[in-house]
Amino acid sequence: MLSFVIRRVIIIVPMLLIIVTVTWALIRLAPGNFYTGEKKLPAAIEQNLKQKYGLDKPWYVQYGRMIKNFARGDFGSSLKYEGQTVNAILARTLPVSVTLGLLAYLLALIVGITSGTLAALKQNSWSDYSSMALAMLGISVPNFVLGPLLVLVFSLTFYWLPPALWGGFPSIHLILPVITLSAIYMAYIARLTRSGMLEVLRSDYIRTARAKGLSERDVIVKHALRGGLLPVVSFSGPALAFLITGTVVVEKVFALPGLGNYFINACFNRDEPLIIGVVAFIAIAVLVFNLLVDISYAFFDPRIRY
Amino acid sequence: MLFIFKSVQIRLAVALIAMALVVIACTASAKNEPYFGKTKPPEGQVLRYVSGSEPESLDPQIGTGQPEARIYMALYDGLCEYDPKTAGPIPSIAESWEPNQDNSEFVFHLRKNARFSNGDPITAQDFLYSFRRALSPELAARYAYIAYYIKYAEAYNNGSVFVRDPRTGEFLLERDFSEPADNSSNNETVSTPSGAALATESSAQNTPFHEYIHSPTRVTLPGDQAGRAKALAKNAKLKAAVEGKEFVPVKAEDIGVEAVDDYTLRVTLGQRAPFFISLMPHQLFRAVHRKTIERFHEAWTQPGNIVTSGAFKVEAWVPYDRLVVVRDPMFWDAARVQLSKIIFYPLQDNTTIMNLYKAGAVDAVQNHSVPASWLDHVRSLRDYMGAPEVTTEYYQFNTTKKPMDDVRVRRAFNMSINKVALAEWRKVAIPWAGLTPKGIFPGYPQPAGEGYDPQKAKQLLAEAGYRDASGNYDPKKFPVDQVELTTNSEGSNVQIAEFIQAQWKQNLGITIPIKSMEFKTFLVYRANLEYKGIARSGWVGDYMDPNTFLNIFTTRTGDNGTGWYDPKYVAMINEANSMLDSQKRLQLLAQAEAYLLDAQPIIPLFSASTNWTKKPYVKGMYPNPQTLHPWKYVYIEYDTSKWDQGVPDMTPGGAD
Repeated sequence: MLSFVIRRVIIIVPMLLIIVTVTWALIRLAPGNFYTGEKKLPAAIEQNLKQKYGLDKPWYVQYGRMIKNFARGDFGSSLKYEGQTVNAILARTLPVSVTLGLLAYLLALIVGITSGTLAALKQNSWSDYSSMALAMLGISVPNFVLGPLLVLVFSLTFYWLPPALWGGFPSIHLILPVITLSAIYMAYIARLTRSGMLEVLRSDYIRTARAKGLSERDVIVKHALRGGLLPVVSFSGPALAFLITGTVVVEKVFALPGLGNYFINACFNRDEPLIIGVVAFIAIAVLVFNLLVDISYAFFDPRIRY
Repeated sequence: MLFIFKSVQIRLAVALIAMALVVIACTASAKNEPYFGKTKPPEGQVLRYVSGSEPESLDPQIGTGQPEARIYMALYDGLCEYDPKTAGPIPSIAESWEPNQDNSEFVFHLRKNARFSNGDPITAQDFLYSFRRALSPELAARYAYIAYYIKYAEAYNNGSVFVRDPRTGEFLLERDFSEPADNSSNNETVSTPSGAALATESSAQNTPFHEYIHSPTRVTLPGDQAGRAKALAKNAKLKAAVEGKEFVPVKAEDIGVEAVDDYTLRVTLGQRAPFFISLMPHQLFRAVHRKTIERFHEAWTQPGNIVTSGAFKVEAWVPYDRLVVVRDPMFWDAARVQLSKIIFYPLQDNTTIMNLYKAGAVDAVQNHSVPASWLDHVRSLRDYMGAPEVTTEYYQFNTTKKPMDDVRVRRAFNMSINKVALAEWRKVAIPWAGLTPKGIFPGYPQPAGEGYDPQKAKQLLAEAGYRDASGNYDPKKFPVDQVELTTNSEGSNVQIAEFIQAQWKQNLGITIPIKSMEFKTFLVYRANLEYKGIARSGWVGDYMDPNTFLNIFTTRTGDNGTGWYDPKYVAMINEANSMLDSQKRLQLLAQAEAYLLDAQPIIPLFSASTNWTKKPYVKGMYPNPQTLHPWKYVYIEYDTSKWDQGVPDMTPGGAD
């Protein structure tokens, strides 16, 4: 187990290096620069800007500087937003994205697992169909439709909830974005739970548990759920990593100052240090969450050994 | 069978839920109201304003866009401010100013009670510092080029050198080495009308600096070896004269800005520029605080460090969320300021912006905020602010490649677009065939350009050689494979391109393929003249004068991007700008525009409408051509009887 974890942690380093290098090269290949605009700059001003930001240096010097910064965990200053360091931007936007992401995932887990389990227990019943119908709705309605629809009803028709903006935690501003963000995960989790549970409920060890005379509640909660949730667990790693590192659409629709908004604009702005910083951060999050999921498998399924 | 039946039921249920939600929303919002959404004014003279995309910086000399300009107008004051209705220059820290006889020198008289937010007085020295900083190569301000009219400003900004004789200490002078006028190496034209000596008299006292700046113009050469060698290769006489001389870098102290005394600033230009005053409210020229900048460097704009010069000062700043500014009691005109606080929201998504507006969470929004699909409804309401804007949208031709190197082909493509139909379909456009936007420059006898005439277009194409044996226009002869309509994919650009593609198909019988690209990729592609045939373009005026548009085509490179360059056109513009009589000047500018339109390097499509909304209780805010609001005039009106019932009176000096 320990050696597995150590091996996985060690492999993160070269993977990060590859990700950062490829990202850096891709930014280089994209035409235009952070100062490219509808109004073309005189050559002299372009030269001044290049000198100011060291962009007139050979590529290997720039690459070396980027790697050095990266190794020190300091991503430098944003090119587009003068006077703001990438680290400060990450530190400011991350709490917003994490708050949203965790709340959304929590909601998705509670609703998804409950409805998925109920659906599996009463397969082909009214409650099964209705919860699966909702799940289908959740999967098939994209969040850029769901968000505005919720706003239309709850903010602009009844004026109950604010249509956008960040109000901190906790605040009523969170309600609509969290629901919007969690809908699709809720739906996936419900379906994954249902199919996982259906499979587990038919397995031998459940029959054994029932034969032992355990109460139905103990069978479900102590035995079936642990196995039935395995698909949900493997789904959770990438999903959580994705959720807490910011979701562009929801942040845009609700005008939230999270990481996703910065990331997408950084790409359009060709803001190299910011892109590298955010990509590295997301990569670390994905790698770490996947590792956590792999470790947690051992808990959910005692048959798995490392 | 049963399963399929059930799933159809499920689908029906899903569809019904979704439809119910939509129906609830639609029926409730279809009520007949005079304004869009809630009209409850916020307490305590607070304005909540959507300023546009996230500001690049709170440093007025760094940020380049309109969204930044709106914020800078709250935080920084300049010699002049924008007029709330016309966006022309009005006195601010400069109580008055006078140009010299030929508009090549301006003396500003500063008020004595102007102060920074920390209480320090704002003097001519502060403007001297601000101007020099704006032009310093180290700051690398992207808008520095609009200050290039100032004498030696461009030379300082691009790191040029003077040439001095080490023995005599004398500098080489331009008049001894003058070349034929060619602006092709510059981006923004800064050219002295040849032969016309600039006037030296000035209302302020004479000083050694004044004598220096009015001494004959010195030769400036590129600061780097390679660039210098290239420049010298073009002028043998100069090359010979440079032998044995030393190169002296052009410094900040050398540019034509002088603090004559604490409250008199004198700006000397390298040419005649009657429109120079129109530039003065621009953010680049607003006062910044030297001590703060030298102490904190790049971090000087962070809350806690920042010192400002405007009607408001920073209270809190959370990027991508909000910027809160509060009334600054130090401001010289604080008695006029009624708003206690402005909250700027940096938002870009139009639907989100209008949602917030409708719910009453914001009181006014930036221009171009109302999405096209909402326009039919919102445009009819009393809080809709539609007025002409200082922008032009046009297509440009690559005149360096066939078949667009032929003016007849270019004219034909222009004439076969029904611009009235285009504007009607766009809803927020004013149909127009000229380069300068329609009707916003008072006294400018604007040429109209060629109108819609498909018959004439075909005839022109036939004349250009695309005809059959009997001499009639033949679309099959036209080399469609050599022409593309290139546009960036953002916004409605592709839809507009499709509209125009259809027009050409209908009127000329040819289908021009559309090529759409990501914005920055497109900009580089267009600037390098790589595009085949036609590319999208647009221009937002930097100041309220036709010159800001006409100037685009006075250089070969830069924003021109068409490959069309005509020394005669440049001469016409220069002649116009050297006119002392402003009416005569505008006439000559209009002639130059007509000359340009005859050559048709571009297809003007439309000039835009401001297209934004404000709540009726927001007063002192007008749909001016630049959507730039001097915040000291804005206030919240709590008395409903005084609320705006539509676009407020825009006549200068008219009732609020």
